[in-house]
Amino acid sequence: MLVSDCCYPCKQTNISTDLGLSFPQPVQEYPDPQPGSDLPSNQTIPIDNQKRDPKEKESEAANPNSPKPQKTKKMPVFKTPFNGYAVKFSPFYESRLAVATAQNFGILGNGRLHVLELSPAGPISEFASFDTADGVYDVTWSESHESLLIAAVADGSVKLYDLALPPASNPVRSLQEHSREVHSLDFNPVRRDSFLSSSWDDTIKLWTLDRPTSVRTFKEHAYCVYSSVWNPRHADVFASASGDCTIRVWDVREPGSTMILPAHEFEILACDWNKYDDCVLVSASVDKSIKVWDVRNFRIPVSVLNGHSYAVRKVKFSPHRRGAIASCSYDMTVCLWDYMVEDALIGRYDHHTEFAVGVDMSVLVEGLLASTGWDELVYVWQHGTDPRAP
Amino acid sequence: MEKAINRQRVLLQHLSPSSSAAEDESSLSASVCVAGDSAAYQRTSVFGDDVVIVAAYRTALCKSKRGGFKDTYPDDLLAPVLRALLEKTNLNPNEVGDIVVGTVLAPGSQRASECRMAAFYAGFPETVPVRTVNRQCSSGLQAVADVAAAIKAGFYDIGIGAGLESMTANPMAWEGSINPKVKEFVQAQDCLLPMGITSENVAHRFGVTRQEQDQAAVESHKRAAAATATGKFKDEIIPVSTKIVDPKTGDEKLVTISVDDGIRPNATMSDLAKLKPVFKKNGTTTAGNSSQVSDGAGAVLLMKRSVAMRKGLPILGVFRTFAAVGVDPAVMGIGPAVAIPAAVKSAGLELDDIDLFEINEAFASQFVYCRKKLDLDPEKINVNGGAMAIGHPLGATGARCVGTLLHEMKRRGKDCRFGVVSMCIGTGMGAAAVFERGDCVDELRNARTAENNNLLSKDAQ
Repeated sequence: MLVSDCCYPCKQTNISTDLGLSFPQPVQEYPDPQPGSDLPSNQTIPIDNQKRDPKEKESEAANPNSPKPQKTKKMPVFKTPFNGYAVKFSPFYESRLAVATAQNFGILGNGRLHVLELSPAGPISEFASFDTADGVYDVTWSESHESLLIAAVADGSVKLYDLALPPASNPVRSLQEHSREVHSLDFNPVRRDSFLSSSWDDTIKLWTLDRPTSVRTFKEHAYCVYSSVWNPRHADVFASASGDCTIRVWDVREPGSTMILPAHEFEILACDWNKYDDCVLVSASVDKSIKVWDVRNFRIPVSVLNGHSYAVRKVKFSPHRRGAIASCSYDMTVCLWDYMVEDALIGRYDHHTEFAVGVDMSVLVEGLLASTGWDELVYVWQHGTDPRAP
Repeated sequence: MEKAINRQRVLLQHLSPSSSAAEDESSLSASVCVAGDSAAYQRTSVFGDDVVIVAAYRTALCKSKRGGFKDTYPDDLLAPVLRALLEKTNLNPNEVGDIVVGTVLAPGSQRASECRMAAFYAGFPETVPVRTVNRQCSSGLQAVADVAAAIKAGFYDIGIGAGLESMTANPMAWEGSINPKVKEFVQAQDCLLPMGITSENVAHRFGVTRQEQDQAAVESHKRAAAATATGKFKDEIIPVSTKIVDPKTGDEKLVTISVDDGIRPNATMSDLAKLKPVFKKNGTTTAGNSSQVSDGAGAVLLMKRSVAMRKGLPILGVFRTFAAVGVDPAVMGIGPAVAIPAAVKSAGLELDDIDLFEINEAFASQFVYCRKKLDLDPEKINVNGGAMAIGHPLGATGARCVGTLLHEMKRRGKDCRFGVVSMCIGTGMGAAAVFERGDCVDELRNARTAENNNLLSKDAQ
């Protein structure tokens, strides 16, 4: 398959043969972090530094001459009518965000897919929204078309939406092949023409935008597949996280999985690849821990990150900082970690009042985070600021 | 249904620490919902055709004949609050479908004309109609309910429910003779009882002591003073520029009234004990434990939720239900004890679900009786003081209580979900309305500090 002109500078890298696999030359990579953009390793963001006693606030309002604490930019909040399940920043527009929501916590009822518009100095507004017959569990943007997005619906279907078309002609396509809930989607950032869907029917399906049926089905896991994520550098490699307590690394060109990582003793709810190191991935589990693995030496994790008090629902590697990981958990917090640093927890945000189930980091705006949870709220904020407005 | 159970099972296994799928002794297990809310009520109902309140304002309430508004024309009390509704929401006045003003004592047609004139002063064009409504002390609340009903009926999308009373201009009086037929109908005759006598009847029949009444009055003044001091009323009071004429010299002074002038921060039990009963010899109702005779106005802007969202207006509250009931005119003060359960029931709720009350303190006797009869938590009622401290301009009270209630619910945060406004009505009635907190369209306020770091919602506790 031909690769369309890439926007990132092409660069030759050493082909890693340690895995016993031969990877094709990578055609794009994420730019190296700017010097000075990394936080010094001993800096920690104080927890809850922005929470203020309401009485303090009132007395401050009464006395305008009292010195005000540093002004933080107002980071807005959006309330969805249904419980939030996933957020995804658009790879084309820095102010666009997709939110997957489901009624009644996704257990029974309808779903809605929101596309939100963030304005620099004002509230979040809704650009479009699509109703579905069952809850929407995940959403992903197409890397090839700026107006295309794909929703993972709990009735087993994968729906394509095109924002450029009028609402009456959406969804453009509904792909019904999974026999159970589709839990996650991921679009191939290298090839940009295909995407994966992971389902509770223990399978992962590979789809392309032009075909009405799946290209391939990967059936090896013994329980729900919660997440499958493409490798950011190698077009045919992806990893999947499953409730059978394993992570599997797959190569599309091979008939089966190429590596089985028994990463945890409990279900693994999410995984992600390091955007700056193509051999490092992270897994998040019901055992409340997050483990970072190097596929070249997969017996022992590179790092174990403890800190959540309930199962960790989602993890994402930062597109801007080499070791930074964002995670959200059933303990209602969103945490930011840096596994390369001694004191790994670099930020903890407890703005949600119900399970925090979706988190994303923007590729286009450095340090911009979005999260959603079962409290029906979507927060967008800059790392280091308070997600709730001042 | 099978699907729902399976999904619940998958989610539960994320929270259960056991590694095997078998039933283990785990600290977490699924159970039937034991939430305090009534199961029948849907937790999140956000429908475009809900009638919502986007703004509620009032003037300060001042003592009649001696207070700040003693030389103010009644229409000059109403106009500022109507104008405030327009200015604060940037609403085009042409879009308002009707203005309904609750007003009691003034001659009907004259007051209706005054209200029409007030609308012109406020900047409303001739195309916006105005009418008045009179259900005695509940007129302000009835006005809000009438507008809500009209919006629901589809007569218009945006309306204003207001209340106005100048008891300086129109004292309580009976014009003309009384129909001799009342002698044959006890209850008709009881309609003519002075309100204070009905208060004594309530105190006597239901055993409300003088101490309890004075205590309620002290509490009312204390809370109202605290609210004024912390600036809580600044959100809802619209300053009114008017004049005061010195009775002795006749000099006019221009003033701006923005503070309720009836509140006595230093009221104590001993001060109140000194007051003599006013209505009945050896009675318990005094000037201190009765509502004050006042002048004031209030106004509430209502519209359909879909209209509010289209205009990007923050939603202060949602109008849920209204109930008017009838009771024995001789003990008219028991009205709220009958009206509140009626309104709460028609909202599909229980009394426990109501987080905040504004019960008009016409007299401490009836207020204390209603509170005891319904077994309500005093910490939830009139938290910023009531009519004994702030004042009771008859027609305005309903509208001003709506504003006070909704602003307080907004301050209290998401925890404070339902509120009730209620009052007794002279001639033996009661009225109550249930409001719901405006859910967040753009602003979130969580003003209460959490005592313990228990982040679970109120349902789960």
